[in-house]
Amino acid sequence: MKVRRRAELIRVQLADSESYLLAGLIDDFTAMLEQADATDPAMQRLYPDGYSDDDEASAEFRQLVSDDLTAVRTGRLRTCRAELPDGSGTISLDEEAADRWLQVLNDLRLTLGVRLGVSEEVELDSADPVANIYHWLSAVQDLLVSQLMV
Amino acid sequence: MTVVWNDPVNLMSYVTHVFMKVFGYPKDKATKLMLDVHHKGRAVVSSGPRERMEGDTATLHGYGLWATIQHDQ
Repeated sequence: MKVRRRAELIRVQLADSESYLLAGLIDDFTAMLEQADATDPAMQRLYPDGYSDDDEASAEFRQLVSDDLTAVRTGRLRTCRAELPDGSGTISLDEEAADRWLQVLNDLRLTLGVRLGVSEEVELDSADPVANIYHWLSAVQDLLVSQLMV
Repeated sequence: MTVVWNDPVNLMSYVTHVFMKVFGYPKDKATKLMLDVHHKGRAVVSSGPRERMEGDTATLHGYGLWATIQHDQ
């Protein structure tokens, strides 16, 4: 993975293993959204309450926004998935596309974070492959943000 | 008002980016808010009528931030 900025475009160079990994993560995440299991802690993290102290207002808020949020999530997943090269390759992103990728990477990180039980107190097991994927996604996201903020 | 709460997953750099992007805040203000979230556990990121706060909160949920609307005192 290399991330470089050339004028208006951020170019992300992916190895084939990285493209396949991202494709698999996006496909799994898409399937999870389709299942829409409200008891899944990852879904609860992705669709949090709108009010911390008002259950009725939270329920109304959820009804108002959750379909739109799912449509937005699904749309950007599909766009990012279609941009992924089949194998190694380079994606060129303008600022809007980079922002979209950041959101998708964040959804993946939130989901893995819940699965791994990430907290500020607990260090992840470096032998756990899922933990390594999580750290890799964090590094990619951080690189992309730093290129956007230049 | 809209409140963003600290969580262990969202990166500091990403949260700063989101505040700049969603609210158009300059980098120093966005960074200060992010640090408040990180150190104090929460920060008020916008205030105004309920409808607008719900819009801001929905947008922040789209970015994966843990945001809630709080009735003004």
